Amino acid sequence: MSDTPILTIRNLHGKVADEDIEILHGVDLEIGRGEIHAIMGPNGSGKSTLAKTLSGHPGYEATDGEVIFEGEDLLEQEPDERSQSGLFLAFQYPVEIPGVSIANFLRTALQARLDEDEELDLFDFQDQLLSRMELLDMDPTFAERAVNDGFSGGEKKRNEILQMAMLQPKLALMDETDSGLDIDALQVVAHGVNALAKENPEMSFLIITHYQRLLNYIRPDHVHVMVGGRIVRSGGPEVAEELEASGYESFKPAAAG
Amino acid sequence: MAESTKIQEPIGGIMEGVTEALNADAVEALAGGEPVWLAERRREAWSAYERTPLPTTRLEEWRYTDLRRKLKLDSLRRGEWAERTFDRSGAPERLVQAMDADRAASGHLVEFDGAVAHVDLLEELAAKGVTLTPLRKAISEQGELLESLLATEALPASAGKFQALNAALWTDGVLLHVPRGVRLELPVRVTRWFSAESAGAAHFSRTLIIAEEGSQVSYVDEVLSDDLPAQTLISSAVEVFARPSAQVQYVSLQRLGRGAFHLSQQRTLAERDSTLDTLNVSLGASTARLDLNARLLGPGANSDMLGLYFGDEDQHFDHNTSQDHVAPHANSDLLYKGALDGDARAVFRGIIKVHPGAQQTDAYQTNRNLLLSEEARADSLPNLEIEADDVRCSHGATVGQLDQDSLFYLMSRGMPRSVAERLVVMGFLGEVLSRLPLGGVVEKISGIVEEKLHG
Ligand SMILES: Nc1ncnc2c1ncn2[C@@H]1O[C@H](COP(=O)(O)OP(=O)(O)O)[C@@H](O)[C@H]1O
Ligand SMILES: [Mg+2]
Repeated sequence: MSDTPILTIRNLHGKVADEDIEILHGVDLEIGRGEIHAIMGPNGSGKSTLAKTLSGHPGYEATDGEVIFEGEDLLEQEPDERSQSGLFLAFQYPVEIPGVSIANFLRTALQARLDEDEELDLFDFQDQLLSRMELLDMDPTFAERAVNDGFSGGEKKRNEILQMAMLQPKLALMDETDSGLDIDALQVVAHGVNALAKENPEMSFLIITHYQRLLNYIRPDHVHVMVGGRIVRSGGPEVAEELEASGYESFKPAAAG
Repeated sequence: MAESTKIQEPIGGIMEGVTEALNADAVEALAGGEPVWLAERRREAWSAYERTPLPTTRLEEWRYTDLRRKLKLDSLRRGEWAERTFDRSGAPERLVQAMDADRAASGHLVEFDGAVAHVDLLEELAAKGVTLTPLRKAISEQGELLESLLATEALPASAGKFQALNAALWTDGVLLHVPRGVRLELPVRVTRWFSAESAGAAHFSRTLIIAEEGSQVSYVDEVLSDDLPAQTLISSAVEVFARPSAQVQYVSLQRLGRGAFHLSQQRTLAERDSTLDTLNVSLGASTARLDLNARLLGPGANSDMLGLYFGDEDQHFDHNTSQDHVAPHANSDLLYKGALDGDARAVFRGIIKVHPGAQQTDAYQTNRNLLLSEEARADSLPNLEIEADDVRCSHGATVGQLDQDSLFYLMSRGMPRSVAERLVVMGFLGEVLSRLPLGGVVEKISGIVEEKLHG
C-alpha cells in the first residue's frame, strides 16, 4: 500500500457548475506518500479551481478524467467523506462562521469522525488543542474566538494550519497559505507544516503558491507549473528557482491550446 | 350558540369575540367574591373588550396574522381555575425535566393548567421582604400593590383588544416584588405547564414584577406543554417595573406544543438609571404572537431587547415590538434573530419611537432571519418615528439563506451536511444568547434550541 500514490489525477477537466466555463483543461498529477509537491502558476491559471474540485466544492464540476485518492474514486464522494478519508484543504479565502468558536468547530469536526456511539474525549482534545496552538505560536484565548470572524489575513491562515494540525489529514492541499503573511507569520506557518511532516512521514502536501517565497522554508520534492488550466512543466525544486529567475512568460501554453 | 349570535347582531361587529365561554357572565363569575376595585377593573376591561373590534389584517399591526382564520375563539372553552398542589412523582416528564434544569434559583413557582401549584423562595430573601406570590393569593395578601399596579400603568385594558380580554378574565399568575436595594443572585424560575386536559380552552394569566429602587432581579418564565389535541389559547400579560437604578432581566421561554396559540403581551417600564433587559425565545406553539412595548421613562434608563426564534413545519411567529423613548438620555438596543425551516413563517415588526424632548436617545433595532428551506418565509418591518433632533437611531433587517460557502467550509472539515447546518444555525442564533449574562439560563436555552434543531 505504501508504494501506491496517495493521489492520482488523470486528464481532469473541470468547469464552473451551472455555467459553460471550462477552467481545467486536462490535469495530470501523481502524489506519492510522504511527498511534498508544489504547484506554481500565475493568477487565474486554475490552481484554486483544482483545489476546490478536489475537495468537492459545489460550485465546480469535474466533466472528464478521474481522481483516485487512497484507492477510491474521489469525485464520487461528498466533501465530508473526502475529508474523513484524509483530504484537507487549507483555503485561500477561509470562511467566517459567526458565533461558532474555533474550539467548538474543531470538536464538532473531530466528533464527526467517530462512530455514532463514541464520544470525543474532551480532555485529550483540550490537550491536543493547546499544544497545537503553542506549536503555531497562538494565544490560548484564540480558540474561543468565532471562526475567522474579524480575523486578520494572517490569523485566518494560521487558523487553517491549526485545523490541519488537529485533523491530521493524509494529504493537505494548501492554497496560497503564504499570501498576506508577513515574514514572521510565514516562518511560523512553515515551522508548523515542517513539524507535522516530520511527525508523520507518510503525510503528503500539495502546496499552491505563485511565489517562490514559501518554498524557501518548506522544501518541495516536486514542483509543477500550471498555466491556463494545465500543468505545463514538472520537475524538482530547481523548477521553482527557474521561475523565480525568468517568471512565467517562458511557460505560456503553446498557442494551439 | 344561538344566544351569542343574538347578542352580537344588533351592535354589528362591535361585540366581536363575545362567545358562549368568553362573555360577561364569565367576568361576573370571577368578580363575584373579589374586592370591589378588582371586580370593577374586570368589568371595565370587559366593556373595553366588547367595544374593541377584533383586529383584522387591514391593521398594520396584524397584517400578517389573520386572527379570524388562525384563532377560533368560538370553539374555545374557558379554562377553569382549580386548587392544585404539585406532585413531582405524577408530573409529566417534560415538566420534570424543565424543572430539573432550574435547580439553581432564588425561588420557583409552578403553574399547572393555569393555577399556581407550587411556590418556594429562599428564606434569606423572604426575610429581606422579597415576595413571590400566586396572583390570586396576592389579591388578599398584597391587595394595595395590585390595586395600584395591576393592569393600570403598564398594560391597562385600553392597550388593545386582547390586553382587555386578559385584564377581564385572568385567573392566576405571579406577583414578584423586590424591595428597595435587595439583590437576588440567582434567577426566579417560573414554569407554567399546560396538560392535555387544558386543551381546547382559553387560559389567561398575568405576571407583575416590581423591582424597587436599586434592587436587582432576573426572572425566567418558561411556558410549555406537549402537543395539544385542540386549539388552546394561552394568553400571558406581563408587566415589569424597574424603579430608579433597579436592574431587571426578564426572560420568556416559550416551548408549547402544536395546537397552542400563544399570545404574550409585555410592557416594561424603565425608570431613571435602571436597566430592564428582556429575552423572548419562541420555539413552540402553532401560532405565537408577541407584543412587547419597552418604555424608557427616565434619563439613564437602558433596555436590551433580545429575541430568538426557531420555527419549523407550519409554525407562525409574529413579533411586534416598540421601543418607546419618553425620557431623554436613555438607550435601547434590540436584536431579534430567527431561523425558519419547513413552511414556517415569521414576522417581525418593530418601531423605535422617540417622543418630543427625548434628546440624546440611543436606540437601535436589528432583525435577522435565516431561511433553511425554500418554503420558509420571513417578513421584517423595522420602523422609526422620531420627534427629537439630537438622537442616534438605526434599524436594520435581513432575510438570508444558509450560505453555500459556509456549509462547504464545514463539510470540508468532515462534518456531514446536517451537522454543518446545525452548527451554522447555532452560531447565528448564539449571538443573541451571548449578549445575555445569565450563565445557567443561556446554557439551558441553547440546549433546547439544539434539541429542536436535531428534529
Ligand atoms: N465561480 C467562477 N465563475 C466564473 N469564473 C471562475 C469561477 N471560478 C474561477 N473562475 C475563473 O477561472 C480561472 C481560474 O481561477 P482560479 O482557479 O481561482 O485561479 P488561481 O487560483 O490560479 O488564481 C480565472 O479566470 C477565474 O476568473
Ligand atoms: Mg487561487
